[in-house]
This record gives sequence, structure tokens and C-alpha cells, in this order.
Amino acid sequence: MTPRYLLWRLVQVVPAVAGILVVAFVAVHWAPGDPVLALAGEHGDAAYYAFIRAKFGLDRPLPEQLVVYAGRVVSGDLGLSFVHGRPVAAVIAERLPATILLIGTALAVSTTIGVALGVLAARRAGQPSDLVLRTAALLAHAMPSFWLAQMAAITLAVGTGWFPVQGLSDARHAFTGWRYALDVLHHLALPALVLAAGELALTTRLTRTGVLDALATDYVRTARAKGLPEQGVVRHALRNALLPVVTVVGSRAGLVVTGAVLVETVFAWPGLGQLLLSSIQTRDVPVLLGLFLLASLTVIVANFVTDLAYAWLDPRIRYE
Amino acid sequence: MIRHRAVVIVLVAVLACAMAQAQETPVRGGTLVVAISADPGHLNPAITTSGATHTAAELIYNGLLGRDDRGDAVPDLAESWTVEQGGALYRFRLRDGVTWHDGTRFTSGDVKFTFDEVLLKFHARTKASMGGVLAGIDAPDDRTVVFRFKQPYAPLLQQLDATEAPIVARHVYQGSDPQANPANASPIGTGPFKFVAYRKGAEIRLVRNPSYFKRAVPYLNEIVMRVIPDAGTQVLALENGEVDFLWGVPGPQQSRLQADNRFKMAQTSYHPGGSNCIMTVSFNLDRPILKDVRVRRAIAMALDRDAFLRQILFGEGTVAAAPISSEIAWAHARGLALPAFDRAEAERLLDAAGWKKERESVRVARGVAGVTDGTRLAIDFLHFPTFAKYGELMRQHLGAVGIEVTQRPLEPAVFAPTVFKDRAFDTNVISYCNGPDPEIGVRRMYHSSQIGPAPFTNAAGYRNERVDALFDQGARTVERDRRTPIYRQIQEIVVQDLPYVWLVETPTTRAWAARCGGFRAWTGLFAEAAFCKP
Repeated sequence: MTPRYLLWRLVQVVPAVAGILVVAFVAVHWAPGDPVLALAGEHGDAAYYAFIRAKFGLDRPLPEQLVVYAGRVVSGDLGLSFVHGRPVAAVIAERLPATILLIGTALAVSTTIGVALGVLAARRAGQPSDLVLRTAALLAHAMPSFWLAQMAAITLAVGTGWFPVQGLSDARHAFTGWRYALDVLHHLALPALVLAAGELALTTRLTRTGVLDALATDYVRTARAKGLPEQGVVRHALRNALLPVVTVVGSRAGLVVTGAVLVETVFAWPGLGQLLLSSIQTRDVPVLLGLFLLASLTVIVANFVTDLAYAWLDPRIRYE
Repeated sequence: MIRHRAVVIVLVAVLACAMAQAQETPVRGGTLVVAISADPGHLNPAITTSGATHTAAELIYNGLLGRDDRGDAVPDLAESWTVEQGGALYRFRLRDGVTWHDGTRFTSGDVKFTFDEVLLKFHARTKASMGGVLAGIDAPDDRTVVFRFKQPYAPLLQQLDATEAPIVARHVYQGSDPQANPANASPIGTGPFKFVAYRKGAEIRLVRNPSYFKRAVPYLNEIVMRVIPDAGTQVLALENGEVDFLWGVPGPQQSRLQADNRFKMAQTSYHPGGSNCIMTVSFNLDRPILKDVRVRRAIAMALDRDAFLRQILFGEGTVAAAPISSEIAWAHARGLALPAFDRAEAERLLDAAGWKKERESVRVARGVAGVTDGTRLAIDFLHFPTFAKYGELMRQHLGAVGIEVTQRPLEPAVFAPTVFKDRAFDTNVISYCNGPDPEIGVRRMYHSSQIGPAPFTNAAGYRNERVDALFDQGARTVERDRRTPIYRQIQEIVVQDLPYVWLVETPTTRAWAARCGGFRAWTGLFAEAAFCKP
């Protein structure tokens, strides 16, 4: 990867983000709804709502609001949240760690276990264990995450008492240090597993197909002919088989902002998914735009990392 | 319906006894975990009427007055009061020795500042109701506050609790924009619990105020408000022992909790967003299709309101018997003849109004004033997504008499401007909360001055000079005995005019862990005297 290529990629980010912001701004403002209810509550008189609109600049023409907003964003200011009354960047930053923890864990679990199961299924292709794995993967991928979440809460939490059903930590005990870490892990288990289930199924199926394709190639036949042990053969094949898996995992990075809404809602996980949902409900426009900006940046960065991973997995790929 | 009423009465009586027994043996200490449905964003209930903020923050504050479980005013920050000049002047004597959570002394200056600079500017209900009639507030000495009105003003004593008028600290807010003051996220009040921490989107932690001016309470050491958006998860969290108190339980899950002796339940008409609520269908009276009262009466008669109570609320509530809630007993008109369910009569009325059944199942206009002949009798019905079942029953019941109903579910932020600003609807359903006095929550539905873009006002666009005059008279009349016949007259008129159909009164069911008790029905200081055994 040359410095020139890196610079080119960075330059591409600017128009992409600007375009996304303008489209998001227009879409959010054209969508029906009025944030004044969230700002002021119900039962006010017309003069009061007009006062609130003027106070937050909502009475200005849309192009003027866009120019003011764009100017702020360029200077690093995402504005004030209507509902929270504080800077949007702070509101988002407070929720970000919980979502990174949830999505990161779910992606890590689904990728490692998914690849392992995919390899297992490929090595036993056509055998009963392959059939079981493939069927289970299909079912897990087909199940809606909110339903799976509710079933997990009823059976694994309330049914057994092993897991909590809500939150990031225990409400009754303000743990610190390693006990807090354990408490968070305990609360993380169910939402992360539910979120991982769908991803895991997809990764398993992709890996299985990729490994089977790779195992049928000439270089694998050559490797076997040279007497390479089967484990080494699979390791060889896996590297090529992982390219589509990396593409999918990379494309799921957008989940950091948007994808966990349902799971976060069911398990009362205090992350960005919940913030997104409540901001849509209350038309908290500055927070919505901030989340869109974060989502677009995340996807751009994830795509870049995916490209780097390609080059690492397949040395024939060069960026210049 | 009678059976449902009986069940409700028995349930409330049994649980009231259980609560009373529990209240005899309060214990000190412990933590109460309360599930709340939304992250409040901030914790200043004086600058908003948002239910999320009020639910989470009211225990930090006090009003001049509180409420007993019947809704009547009782002393809180004010220890006594007098009503003078026929209701045009109210004089309050404040308690001595009250301090803010930071140790500063509470005085009448805080009350005057709160009303002048915060409530009358930012609290939507207080501003809308009191703003136009208040002449001024005086603080002649540290312990006296005087409210002067331009004319006698009846509902004041019902508007001074921590929900309608929480008092904030002058020394914290003076010279700042109340909506941007950092104290909104780390509040200082006079209430039974002090703010400790607010983890955004997750929880608010409060701790016992050891200097609370009511020396005997609070009993609890700590209260944690846990944000759990999903109602089903809230119930599971209660069953799993993770939370102790729910503000509401969805109908289908009530029987499960009721059968489990680890939990207690009670009904109350106090919702976090308002009290004494009636699910109400509004007619857009600007629409030619709905101008004829015979059509509105036919719609009212085609609706089996018992079915709404049974199928949607699982019997939790009562069919509305008058336009004003039965919980405001002195204003609720008994014995009114609301249109009863009678499908045959509804069909006859529609025929008489010129809406004929021809080949299609949907009626068409034949000689209806302002409507082109052949127009189908088709209306839309706007509702919050959570009220979808009301739309389904409307469609079913009105379909049976030849009226086509199209459901339009809209989020609250979209619903309000669509109905009140754009008036782009035929019919809708709104949970109109009457509040503790008709002036607070009923006037806005009928007075012609309340037609306009302000959300949740006169959705029907109803205008009747006689009704306007009666409401104005009711507001000026201080003696309750003299107000009762005024509100009765109003209800008799609107039942004839039918700008709305009053479907069902909707109480809410609280649920809590049986080891806890001492809760109040009123949402304001609901846990001031609550306790939890270990």
C-alpha cells in the first residue's frame, strides 16, 4: 500500500461524509414529525411552542438551518441535543462504550466460532454432523433477533435464574474493579449471544462454502500430492476461503450504530441502538444526524480495514 | 361491564388492605429498584411536562402542596394557606427549616423565582393555564408567598404539587438559561431523595435525604431508576428479582403476576404523564362528512365500548359514563345518556343522514349537504402505534354499519402536528388525561380558544359559545359546590353535540415486590414513605 493510495482514500472520505450529511439532514427534516413535543412536553399553548421553536432555531428556513449545521460540524461541533440539552458528541460518547462492547463481543464470538464450525462442516461435508450444522445455521440465521432475545430472556434468565434480563450491571450493587468487570460480563452474556447467533450462522455457512471451494482447487491437490498433512491443507485453503467472510464481517461494522436496536431494546442495554430508537421517537434531530455521521464514518473505516485484511490474506492483492 | 367493575373494586380493596398492612410495619434501609420506560434526558421537571423526566425526577423535589390518595391538596413545602378576595388571592405560609440538598436555606424567594423565571416560561401546562390570569407573585417575607390573580381562579390548589409546579433552587438557576443549566443533569432539590448519579440511558441513582423536612421519612436508603424501554422485559425483570416496582403492567401479563404471591398489584388513575385519563375518539368537525351530528351519533352507537374494555384493556378500567372522568367525582356528571351500543339505530341514523347502503358494503352519499353524491363513507383513524387495537376495533365495528375505516398509525412526534397543526385527519383516538381539575385537563378539549397547533388541545375543533362561557365561569368559581352544576351543564351539552366519543377510563396497574410497600398512588412523591424488607 503506497502513501499515495492512502492519501487518495482519505480524500475520498470528505465528499462521502459531506454527501451523507446533506442527504441525512434533508431526509430527517422532510420526514413528518415535530421535535417541539420532546423539547417542551404536552399541553402548552401556541405561543409557547413558537417560543421554543425560535429558541432552538427550528423556525428558520431549512437551507439556513443546513448552512448553520454544516458550519458547526466543520468546526467539530455536532450541536446540542433537544432532549438531553447537552452536546451531541457527549451524548453519543456516553453510549458508545456499551455498544462497542456488545457488538465487538458478538462479532468476535460469531467470527471465531463461525469459522471453526464452518471448517468442521466442510471437513465433514455430506456427513450427518455437516447436515446438523447446516440446518442449525439456517435456523439461527432465519430467527428474528427480537424473538430470539425474548426466548433467551424467558428461558435462560427467568427460567433458570442464571442470567439477568436487563441492563449492563446490577442495579442493587455498585461494584467496582474486577467485580464490576465480572458483573458486566454476566449482563453481557445473553445480549451478545443473541446478537452473535445470526452472525455466527452466516459466518459458518460462508466459511463452509469457501473451504469446500478451496479444497477442490489445483493447489490443494498439489499440496496433498506432496504429502502435506490434512490439517496443513485446510489451513492453506482457509486463508483463501476467508475472503468472503472478511467482506461480510467488515460490512457488519455498521451495526455499531444501527444494527443492535432490537437487542439493545429487549435487554435494556444502554447503547447507541437505544439512543437511535429514542431519538427517532422524539425527533431529536441533532442526535440523529450525529449518529448518521458516526455510522457513515464507521462503515468507511471498516471498508478500509477490510481492504487491508484482503491484502494480508491474499498477497497477490496490491493497492497503488 | 358490571363484572369488570366488581373485579376492579375487589382487586383495589384487597390490595389497598395489603398496602395498609404493609404500611404498619415499615423498615428502614434498603434499595428500591424502579423500572422506567425512557431515558429522561434531563432531571428538571420544572421545564417540561414530559412524563419521562417527571417519573424519574419528582422524588428529588417538592411542590408547595402535595396530594393525598384521593387527589386532594395536602401540605408539602407550604404548611398552611388561605384563600382570600373570593379566590383572587392565595396566601401560603411556608415550613420553617427546609433546606436544599446543598444545605442552602429554602425561602419564599425560591418559590417566586421558580414561578416567574421557570414554570411560567417553560412548564407547558402551568404557562398555558395560569399565565394569562396571574397578576403577580409576592414574597413579603421569607416564609410567605402570595399569588394574586386578575380574577377569581379556582384550580390553583390542584396545580401546586411536584408534578404541576416543582420548586427549583433560585441560587442554582438564577442568571442562567434554565434549559441549559448543568444542574438539570445533577439536580439539587428539597425532596426526600438526593441525586447521586445519572448514567445516561441506564439508570439514575438517588440516596436518602437525611435532612428531609418530614423527619419520619424516607425509609429507603436508596432508589435506583432503571431504564427498561420494553414493557415485557420490565415484567421479566420483576419476576427475576432485578427490579422491585413497575409503573404499569401490560394486560396479558397481569394475571401471571397476580397469581404469584411474590408480587402485589394495585390500580390507580395516576399515570406518569397525567391522571384520570379517558381514551377518546375525536371527530374532525371541519370535515363535511362529520358535520352532521347524526353521523357522529351513529358512529358512537356502532361502537361496542364494552368490547374495547374487554379485548384491549382486559377489563382494566371502566366504560366512560360521562365526558369528565369519574375520578373527579365532584365534576363527573352521573346519569348522563351517552349513546349506547345499538347497531340498528346507528344504521337508521346513517340512512336518515343521507348515507345509503347500495350495492357495495360501504355506504354512499345521496343528498348529503356539502358532499358530492356517490362519495363513499370512508374515514381515516389516526392513532399512536401502541393504540393499534383501538383502530382494529373501530374498523370492525364501523365496518358492520357500512363505514370504511383506514388506520393510520403515527408516532407521537408525528401524530401531534398532523392532528393539531395540519388538521389532516377524520377521526383519531387520544388518551386525554383530565388531571385533578377540569380546568387542567378538560377545558383544553372543548374551549374554542384551544383550537390551534398546540398538541393535545381541542382536536375536534369544537366551538360552542355556551360551553366557552360555562368553562370561564367554572374557572372563576372557587366553591366546589357551585362548580359542580356548571360542569354538569357542560357535559350535558357536549353529549348532545358529540364532538368526541368517550370510550373507556383507563387506570393503570402498578406492580411491586411483595417485600416492599408504602407506595402512594400519586406519582409525585410515590416512594416518599416506601420501604423494602431485606
